[in-house]
This record gives sequence, structure tokens and C-alpha cells, in this order.
Amino acid sequence: MSLESAQRWFHDALILPGLVDGDERDALLRESLNLSGAAGLAIYQRGYFLRIASCMRDQFPALCHSLGAPLFDDFVADYIRDEPPQSHTLYDLGRRFPAWLAVNRPDRDLPPVERELWIDFMIDLARFERQVFAMFDAPGHEGHAFADADTPDDRLRLQPCFDLGAYGFPVAAYYHAVRLGQPAPLPPAGASFAALVRTDYVTRTIPLTEPQYRFLEAMAAGGTVADGIEALARASGAATESIHSAWHSSGDRNRWIDWGFFIAA
Amino acid sequence: MDPAFAGKRCVAAMIADLPRLGLGLGLRGVHFDTILAERPDVDWFEAISENFMDSGGRPRAVIREIAEHYPVALHGVSLSIGSCDPVDLDYLARLKRLADEIRPAWISDHLCWTGVMGLNSHDLLPLPLTEESLAHVAARVRQVQDFLGRPLILENPSSYVRFAASTMEEPEFLRRLAGETGCGLLLDVNNVYVSCFNAGADPVAYIQAFPCESVVQMHLAGHQRQGGHAIDTHDRPVRPEVWDLFRLAWALTGGASTLLEWDGDIPAFDECRSELLKAKHYMDPASGPRASGPPDPAGRDSLSNPLGFLVPRVMDGAVLEQA
Repeated sequence: MSLESAQRWFHDALILPGLVDGDERDALLRESLNLSGAAGLAIYQRGYFLRIASCMRDQFPALCHSLGAPLFDDFVADYIRDEPPQSHTLYDLGRRFPAWLAVNRPDRDLPPVERELWIDFMIDLARFERQVFAMFDAPGHEGHAFADADTPDDRLRLQPCFDLGAYGFPVAAYYHAVRLGQPAPLPPAGASFAALVRTDYVTRTIPLTEPQYRFLEAMAAGGTVADGIEALARASGAATESIHSAWHSSGDRNRWIDWGFFIAA
Repeated sequence: MDPAFAGKRCVAAMIADLPRLGLGLGLRGVHFDTILAERPDVDWFEAISENFMDSGGRPRAVIREIAEHYPVALHGVSLSIGSCDPVDLDYLARLKRLADEIRPAWISDHLCWTGVMGLNSHDLLPLPLTEESLAHVAARVRQVQDFLGRPLILENPSSYVRFAASTMEEPEFLRRLAGETGCGLLLDVNNVYVSCFNAGADPVAYIQAFPCESVVQMHLAGHQRQGGHAIDTHDRPVRPEVWDLFRLAWALTGGASTLLEWDGDIPAFDECRSELLKAKHYMDPASGPRASGPPDPAGRDSLSNPLGFLVPRVMDGAVLEQA
């Protein structure tokens, strides 16, 4: 068997251990004094799954808490069977997990109205956790100046390590309840919005109202404060003048500057 | 190619010029704050390349700062030098950018492959030790060395299988690889013990056959006995039989830079450092066995090559503000 064929066989044996042909295995691997070929291969097969499951539990701790580790591991086993890791970095392991959950939800064959709410919650929670995890090592603005209260509106831009989310459940509150070891029952459905921002290498979650989210969504698309005001005016039907006035009087501007949302263009 | 690299032409000469750094520790995220705050007395650190090469966050800032105060070597787990997939040039470019930034003493990885067909198992998988493998790996080592502009240092992996097609033992394979490419070697003494134990081979004969003149660095770590075999767990103190091998390896390599890896159930920094400093006892060829430490933790089957330490506990540092 060529080197390439041997590697393809070995890798398939890791990903799909149930399909290993015993005769092929015994022809490829030599019996050793303390380990048969089958026992040695089993160490790699066991390690492949457990190693990745362990890393996934670290990347989705709240989802693991909610599902319980055995069920979470079952989802991970199916996930890496369908979407085996491709990247050199472990940080990428969970990147496709929320979308995979959405496509492969256990009740996917039911009409939408008959689907389980808890599964919707799990998908939203996975999406939020992936966002929080990605913030940890994303390019940021540490070491550079942020905007301050004197920065004019037309120079305010969102900093690079910033993200937004809109969810069908209060996933941010759930996540932080798990983090603090507080009781975290499955929450009722309800729209929630959050901003994630990193300063001094600390990631903060800031709950938002829907108007705040719409405003920041426009800025996250590369826009200015004026673009945010315009977007909010379109969404709410309110006059831009009144939104502009509220922007300066509500305290949002100063709080968001204090939390490091903005840099000066 | 780095002009200095092209000018020398002889990577073997570059290997000979590499420093002997003394006793170092694997740089782990749980120790960042201690290292930055206390600047502990450790000769050098080895950083896992993949934990820093893609980082736009704190890990990159931390390694920059640590590299200002300590010698640092970069140790990779995903180069996949033995894979039949093409060499990942994007990976190499990221690695080179990190190396240009922190100026490591050297860059190492493993004699292994991590995946094929565009996939990555995140494990250090074994190669058949054949003429085909040797030619394949040697060509890729040359490609990597040309790209990085420096010699590559390759480690003997821990292994749980042997291929029927293998025609040579690992020391011979690595001797020929080093001879053909000028690459340096990282002799993982614990891996020697684990692989030889599982294969029923003599670890002393392995080290005596190893091309110690090419050894730039050594690794020490703990392993676990599970039933009739050994697992390379990196989650406990170095076992006495590995210390005995280290005594031999230290003498044969002439005191190569030595590093302790502790990757699972990582204790406080001082405990890791205390374990590392036990090496001083075994640098004396006349030293006898030391009194053994606490008994090997039992009751739990640990993983080979644990990876958990590579994934940050992001939740621990997250903050919820009130809008």
C-alpha cells in the first residue's frame, strides 16, 4: 500500500471506526508485544473523538451545561462525522456547529409549527457562544486609542473587536447565569439583542434594545452614527431629529464610549 | 528564502550554532499571569505555535512580552510534515510572521501527519518508516526550511501502532532524514519510553541508536500505564524510568536544551518548575535513582496528546454589563 493510501485508510478509520475492515487493518498494522494492531488503532480512534469533544465542551460550556455532557457529546459525534475538522487551529472546531445544529435538528422532519422550542434555544445559544469564543482571539484595538466623549459623531466608528446578535431567546442572560453558577432554567422564548465588545482583552456582553441593535447594526456594516440614525428612523418611523436628540441625551453615547465600542476615524 | 539562510547553504551548520538554553517549561495559558507578574527563574519557554500564530488577542500580546524577557522556541502540532496533502503554505506564512515577530530560538514540530484529504485529526499520527516515507518527508522538510529560512527541528512522536510495511527503525529514519536535509531533532525522552514500551522494544537501545549529534532539544513529560500499554498523557510527573533515560540522553546529547511539557491537569507554575528542576539531579551521569514522588494517579484513563490546554476557558473571563 502506498503512503497516500495508508494515510487515507488510517484517517477513514479515525472518522468512521465502525467501517474498518479487520483484514485490511491486520495487513497494515503489525502486532507488537504489548499492543495488537487493533488495540493500537483503537487508542487513536478513542483519542480522536474524546480530544475533540473535550475542546468542543470548552468552546460551548453553556450549551454543554444545558444539554448535559452525554447528549452534548452525541451531537458532537454526529457533527464531526458530518463536518470533520479541516483547520490547523482548534479554535475553528466549533465554527460550523451552530449552522450544523440548525440543519440537523432532531425535529427537522416536522412542520415548523410543531418543532420543539428547546431546540431553537440550543441553536441560538450555540450561535451566541461561538460569537463569544471568537471574540477572545479576534483582531482587536488594544494598544491603540479609543474614541472619547469629545470625539465628534462623524468620526465615531465601531472598533474591530465588536459583534452583534439578535436571538429568539435571552441567551446572553442564560450564558452568564451558567458562568456564575446560578440557576439557569430553560428560558421562555422572547426576542433578545446583545453587543459583544473587547477591551483590554476582556469581552463584555451588553444587552441591547431592538432600536439600539438596529442603530449598531448599521454601524457594524461600516456606517457612521448618521447611518445608524437613518436606519433606526426607517425601522421605527421616528424623525431623525428626535433620534439624534435621544442619542445625545439618553446616555447611550457616553456608556458605549466608556465600554470601548468606538474608535475615532 | 532568508538571505542568511541561502548564504549558509548548510543547515547542519545552523543546527550547530543553535544555543543550549538549559531547562525550560512549556508556556501554558494558565501560567500567563504568574509569568508576567513574577518573571520566574526559568531558562526558557516553548510556545505551541498554533496558539499564537493566529492570535489577534491576548495570547499574541503575552508571547511578545515573554519573548522580551526569555528565550522562546516555537513548537507546532499541525505542520503535518508527513502528510500526502500539499504543504499548507498559508499555515507556513502565519508561522513565519509569528517567528519574524518574536524571534524564536528555533521552530519545531513532529515526525507525523495530522490529516489528509484536507482534513485535520488534531492528533500526531504515525508514519510507515519506509524509503517512500523518507523521500516524501525529506522533500517536504527542504520545502519548509526554504520557506522559513531556518532549519526545522523534528520530534519523535509517541506511537501506539507499527506498520507492517516499515523497513527501518525510528532512530535510523531520523538519522537519515537529518543527514539528507540538515534538519535538527527534538528527542522526546518520554515518547521514546512510551513507544518502546508499547512495541516491546528496548528504550535504552533506541536512545543509543539515536543520532544524538543532531539533537537540539529534549522533551520530558509524564505518561500513564493503562493495562499492558503506556499512554503519553502529559498530565502528571515524569516517571522514574523516564528520568533514567534522560540521564543517558543528557550525556549522549552533551546537554541539549531540555523542556518539561505538562498539558493536562496543569498544576501551579511552581509545581511545574519543581518538576523541571528534578532534571538537575540526572545531569550527573553518576547519579542514582531519586526517591520517587507521589504515586501515579489512578482511576481515570487519560488521553494521549491532550489538547484541552490549547483551548482557552473564554467563559471564565466574560463579563455581563447592564445596559
